[in-house]
Parts: sequence; structure tokens; C-alpha cells
Amino acid sequence: MVAQKKVRRLQFEGANNSRLALCLIAPVVIYLLLVMLTPILWAIITSMQNKNRTEFVAFENYAWIFTNRSAWRSFSNALGNTLVYTLFCVGGKVLLGVIIALVLNQQIKGRNLYRALLLLPWTIPTVTSVFTWRWLYSDVGGVLSYLLQVSGFTTERVEWLATNNTAMLSCILVNVWRGAPFIGISVLSALQTIPHSLYEAARIDGANAPRQFHSITLPYIKDVLGMSSLVTTIWTLNDFEMVWLLTRGAPAYATELLSLYSYRVGFSNGNLPRAIAVSFMFFPVVIAMVAVFTNRSLRKESDFAGG
Amino acid sequence: MREKRIGMLIAIAVLLILLIWTLFPIYWMVNTSFKPDAEIYNIIPTLWPKQFTTINYEKLISSNFFTYVGNSLTVAGTVTVFGVFLSTIAAYAISKLRFRGRTVISQAIIYAYLIPRSIMYIPLYMLVSRLNLLNSLWALMLIYPTLVIPYATWILIAYFKTIPNNLEEAALIDGCTRLQTLFLVAIPLAAPGIMSTAIFSFTMCWGDHLYALVIITKDSFKTIPLGISDLIVDDLFAWGQLAGAAIFAALPVLLLYMLGSKYIVTGVTAGAVKG
Repeated sequence: MVAQKKVRRLQFEGANNSRLALCLIAPVVIYLLLVMLTPILWAIITSMQNKNRTEFVAFENYAWIFTNRSAWRSFSNALGNTLVYTLFCVGGKVLLGVIIALVLNQQIKGRNLYRALLLLPWTIPTVTSVFTWRWLYSDVGGVLSYLLQVSGFTTERVEWLATNNTAMLSCILVNVWRGAPFIGISVLSALQTIPHSLYEAARIDGANAPRQFHSITLPYIKDVLGMSSLVTTIWTLNDFEMVWLLTRGAPAYATELLSLYSYRVGFSNGNLPRAIAVSFMFFPVVIAMVAVFTNRSLRKESDFAGG
Repeated sequence: MREKRIGMLIAIAVLLILLIWTLFPIYWMVNTSFKPDAEIYNIIPTLWPKQFTTINYEKLISSNFFTYVGNSLTVAGTVTVFGVFLSTIAAYAISKLRFRGRTVISQAIIYAYLIPRSIMYIPLYMLVSRLNLLNSLWALMLIYPTLVIPYATWILIAYFKTIPNNLEEAALIDGCTRLQTLFLVAIPLAAPGIMSTAIFSFTMCWGDHLYALVIITKDSFKTIPLGISDLIVDDLFAWGQLAGAAIFAALPVLLLYMLGSKYIVTGVTAGAVKG
């Protein structure tokens, strides 16, 4: 029976479809080779030139990051900020997303409307959400400071984006506000496939709520949660505009992520080769963070892709 | 039972908190866009505009803002259509056909997706600069597919894999060519996934800031994100107009989501929920 299925699948896929297959994937492959691979190779070569692009300096720019004192300070600061930012953003989004999913899974009247409403932060463009929150955080006319003062939590105006401690927190908050609904919707879909009878049976057997969550809910949502978390981590690591529009890396580079530091080196200081070197140092971070999920998710992808 | 009732109460309470957390910022933005400057900068913020006005929107209309909207629409629309189409046929080939190098190519596409924009933006800037395409919409249309194609192909490969082969097999037996089954059977079946991928892709192009920032400096070619940050001159934020512009920037995407809402949920979990 299994052998029959396999034969059928092989027949379906067929070896004489190669020409068609190549035609179908050619545009994508050619595009990626020309517009992604080639520029990356050029960039690697450029990163080994000097500032004016006149001579070849091999790995000097890379060494500069580690040997130049102020460069190292900026770089390690940016690296640390990136790790903190990513960790807390993804953690916050996963936590909030799961809560959103659990709440929306309840039989509350008007569920669909609430689902659409809670999805709003995810659907509006990043610029919109950034400026929405920037206005809330504003020290002139901003509502958050006002509310805190009025309710007695603080005595003076809070400059959310201008104070070292609160600046990073403020950025993380915006990112979590924006991204949690995505995880919420993904997990919700998985939750809705769980048959209610399982919970009934568990309750009859005496299992309390946490136990039910652990033994029934978690296994069902594990896959989706893993994939959404992976994608979310990639997106968070990718993030430039949110933090740049919120703080430009201020105050005193407390929120400068690696991407912002690279932009500063390349476009504010005009040293393109160095900027490339800095941004390529980003790769280890990406690989490291993604490796946390890679074992589970990428292996699944090769199940899909390799067949 | 009592447990269930308490559980429901907690859920409703949490839902309320979530709604406030989610909607208050947005409400505040809409609120602000209808206030005159004097009221915006008042020490005591008002929950509802005391002096309801549309002057911010009027200022926006008379400015360049709608040029930016047009630019964004053109670029995002074109790239989404072409990018998703090419990704669909590629994803079909990778998921349903056998050919040499299939595994390598699909892995390469996934790794292409993992490359962060903050690394790609400089190489892409250099490419555009060498082609003398700086400050043009063509440049954006050339490089935005790097955002769309890896993501779309990845998602659609997973999605196609969840579609059973029987219908296509039947069509093949009936004498269709492979190409015909692709367009007449596979793609219609995959429509929800393709739709939601298209909506996500449009959103990505619509909202891109970094690539546009380094490539476009001339005003008439700016896209919406650039146009909005232009409303900030030095330290002065024109909050009334900013609020209006931000709301405006959100409307087309919101519309798309509303129209395609039933596709979103199925598309998002494509391939992730087994069975």
C-alpha cells in the first residue's frame, strides 16, 4: 500500500517534467542571482576597499571594528542592543500572542469582530504605528506622560524616548504592540483545530486548567508557535525602520542597533566599505539567533522542499 | 459550572485590557488628526476634539502627499503582481515536480529569505547606483522583489505541499498537459494561500522605508513612508498632519485586509499545521 503510493507519487512528479520545471523556476532563480547574489559579491569586494574606493585593503575594515577603540565601543554597544531588543521583542510578542489566541478562542459573542480589531496593529504600515506611538510618547502634548502624572505615578514629565532607560523599553513596546497579533492569529488557528471533547475528557478525569494547557493545548500549538516564532525572530532582526524612526539611535546610542550603526557609518559618515563590513558582522548574530529554532523548523522546511 | 464561569470572566477582562491596549493608540491618532494645532499642543489632552476640524487633511491634499500615494501604489502593486506570480510558478515546480537541483534551489531560496534587509540595503544601493537608476520608481520595482520573492516562494512551497495531487492526476489522465494543470487546477486550489501571500507582499512593499530611504532623495519619487517622515522638519513635528498622513497610509492596506480577510487566517498557517 505504501509502496503503491510512492510509485504513484514518483509517476506524478515524473522525470520528463524537467524542462517545464526549469522554465517555471528560471525567472525566480535568475532574478535572485542577478539582484541578490551579484550585489552581495560586489559588496564583499567593496568592503575590502578604502573609504574613497581607490585601493584594495583586504580585511582592514573588518579589523578596524575590533582594533579601533571607539569603533569597538560602538559595535559592541550596537550588538548588545540588538540582542536585548530582539530577545525581549520576540519574548513579548510570543507571550502576548499566546494570550491573544487563548482569549479569542473562548466562546465570546462578537469574537470575529474582536479578532479583526486585535489584528489592527499588524495590518497598519510600520510608519503609521511608529508615529502613533511616537505621538503617545511625545513630551509635548503626549498622552502617556499626562496620564501618568494625573494618576499620580510620576511627578514630572516622562521623556520616554529621550531617557536611556526608557528609550529601549519604549521601542520594545512598540514592536510588541505591532507584532503580537501575528502570533496571536497563527496560534489561534491551531487552537481552533483542538477538539473540545479532549478538554471535557480531561476535566472529567480531574485535570485542572494548567494541566490541561500543558498536556492538550501545548502539543497542538507547538508547531505553529515554532514556525511563527522563527519568522518573527527573522523579522525582528531585520528591523531598521521602527527604531530609526522612533529614536534614530538616541539617546547617546542607547537604542542603536547594528543596522542603525551600519547606516551611520555608511551614510552619515560616508564610509561605505566600512558600513558593509559592519553589516556583514551581523551575519553571526542572525545565524546564532535563528539556530535556536533552526533544528526544528529548517529541518521541517527541508522536508517540504527536498521532498 | 462555576469554574467555567470564572474562566469566562477572566477571559472577558483580559479581552477588555487587550482591546484598550490595541485600540487606544489608534484612536488617539485618529483623534489628533481632527484637531487644530492649538488644541493638539494643549497641556491637557482631550479625548474628543473640542474643535473638530479637517484642516490637517486639507493641508495634506494640497501638498505633495498624493504623489507619494501614487508612487507607493504603483510600486507595491506592480511588484506584488509580478513577484507573487513568479513565486507561485516556481513554488509549484519545487513542490510538485522533480528536477535536478531541486533541493539546492529550495534551500537557497530559504537562505535568501534569511538575509536581513539591513545587510542587503547597501549592496542594492550599489546595484541601483551602478545602473544609474537612483531616484526612480524603476529602481524600487527592481529591488522590492527581493523582499517578496523569497518569502512568497517559501510560503507557497509549503502551501502547495498541503494540496493533494488527486485532482491534478485526474486532469492529467484526462489529457491535460502539465502546464494546463498548473493554471487550471493547482493555482485555483491554492487561491487562498496565494491571496494571503499577495496581501502580505503588498504590505511589505507598501511599508518599506529603508530601501526607499537610500535610493530616493528627489521629492517627486518619494513613497509614503518617506513622505510621512518628511513632515518632520528638524525638531518640529507637524503632528496634526502626521496623524492624518499616518491614517491615510494605513487605509489601502486595511482595505486589502478587509477584502481578503477570510484568506489571511488560512494562509498564515500554511504548511505549519499538519493534518
